Amino acid sequence: MMNRLLRSPSEVAKDCREDRDLASIAASALVAIVAGALLFGAAVGSWRGGPQIAFAAMKLPLVTVGTLVLCVPAFYAIAAVFGRPWSVRAAVSIMLVAGARFSLVLLAATPVVWLSVSLGASYDAVKLLAALAYALAGLAALGLILRGLGPGPGRMATVVTFIGVFLLVGGQSAWILRPYIGTPGRDEITLFTQEHEGGLAYQLCVSVGRLLTSVPSPRTGASR
Amino acid sequence: MSLRDLLVLYAIIGVACAIAVLRRAPTTGAGAVTSALATLFVWPLWAPFALGAAKPVAPRRGPDAASVGRIDRALTEAVAAVAGTPMSEIFSPKTAARIAAEVARVAARLDELSALTTQAAFDAQASAQHLKDLEARGAPERTVVTARLQHDSLTRLQQLRGADAQALEELAELLEALRTQLLLARYSGSSADGAGAIVGEVWARLEGLGVAFDVGTGEAAGSR
Repeated sequence: MMNRLLRSPSEVAKDCREDRDLASIAASALVAIVAGALLFGAAVGSWRGGPQIAFAAMKLPLVTVGTLVLCVPAFYAIAAVFGRPWSVRAAVSIMLVAGARFSLVLLAATPVVWLSVSLGASYDAVKLLAALAYALAGLAALGLILRGLGPGPGRMATVVTFIGVFLLVGGQSAWILRPYIGTPGRDEITLFTQEHEGGLAYQLCVSVGRLLTSVPSPRTGASR
Repeated sequence: MSLRDLLVLYAIIGVACAIAVLRRAPTTGAGAVTSALATLFVWPLWAPFALGAAKPVAPRRGPDAASVGRIDRALTEAVAAVAGTPMSEIFSPKTAARIAAEVARVAARLDELSALTTQAAFDAQASAQHLKDLEARGAPERTVVTARLQHDSLTRLQQLRGADAQALEELAELLEALRTQLLLARYSGSSADGAGAIVGEVWARLEGLGVAFDVGTGEAAGSR
């Protein structure tokens, strides 16, 4: 199943649309989603080390599955509105296989994140690397959703509307459950942050600014 | 409604769905418990597969409809033969569903191949005639070589299609033998070792069909 997901996503998407062996596909996809996000979370959390590895490994699958849970009804409705009145099973399975592809790309990026942490990458570098991995994984998942939608009118409208919903829900879910890498400049490790640090987009801009102007990252003094 | 209220509501629906999954499971094994647990936590993603029925399959109309129909009947009867007996481990409904899904995939590709070989551009007889004409009128060597390559490729496509249709028919025979073996074991109380060997043979044949298709598809693409 994993092999088919990476090598012939069109076939998997077709199976989903035609309700072929869906229980097996959905079960494999759920396992892939949890395993990929768990390992990627552990790699990201290894920047701080200690309990943060377990916290991040636990929270990333939660964010991924939670976002899917919240977005599935929206995907079903948006697809129906734009001319694809699928069954619930078909809509959910397409979301799940897209999520599985997303997690498999994260899994592929895990050694890179781990290596960069081992080589002493800064907080901002790890944060941007993780964001890049997420962007790549998102593109891979988007490819599968596009194949799942198939040709026909309303395809782009469905994708654009759904991406808007997914980014809002996913970004907010991830923001609520932060930190994953660790709180910079702080020695204590917490499951959830209590600070108000602005939005996700604002934080990414700050990190890019710090990297470009070579301002030392807040890692100084922080324990690993 | 607060986040806490929503989570409580989510949990209540999850518990109800999990109970329904357990009650509907044919056996109360580890699979049913895992399915119920998955339903409890991610019911929006898993309940449609654990509780929903698969879309009824429309009767096939392709040239291999008879073989596929025999396979489907043999699978249904084999599952019924072992239901409620220890032999259900050898041939579970899940195994039957996987075989059926694999056969459907193979049959769908066979249909595509059949449709392809009936098109004028893929007519092996016409290409043979064209080759003969070129040779008769003394066309340049390069043109004749290209026409011969085209004819050979089309002939191989037809041979592949014929061999795979034959393999599907043999698979139907094998599954009918499996059904009879399982019925014999059930009513005579004998061991179902023979049936286990047949199940292994079925998988080997299906894998063989998949490999043949991969090669065939690659060659078909290369010949164009």
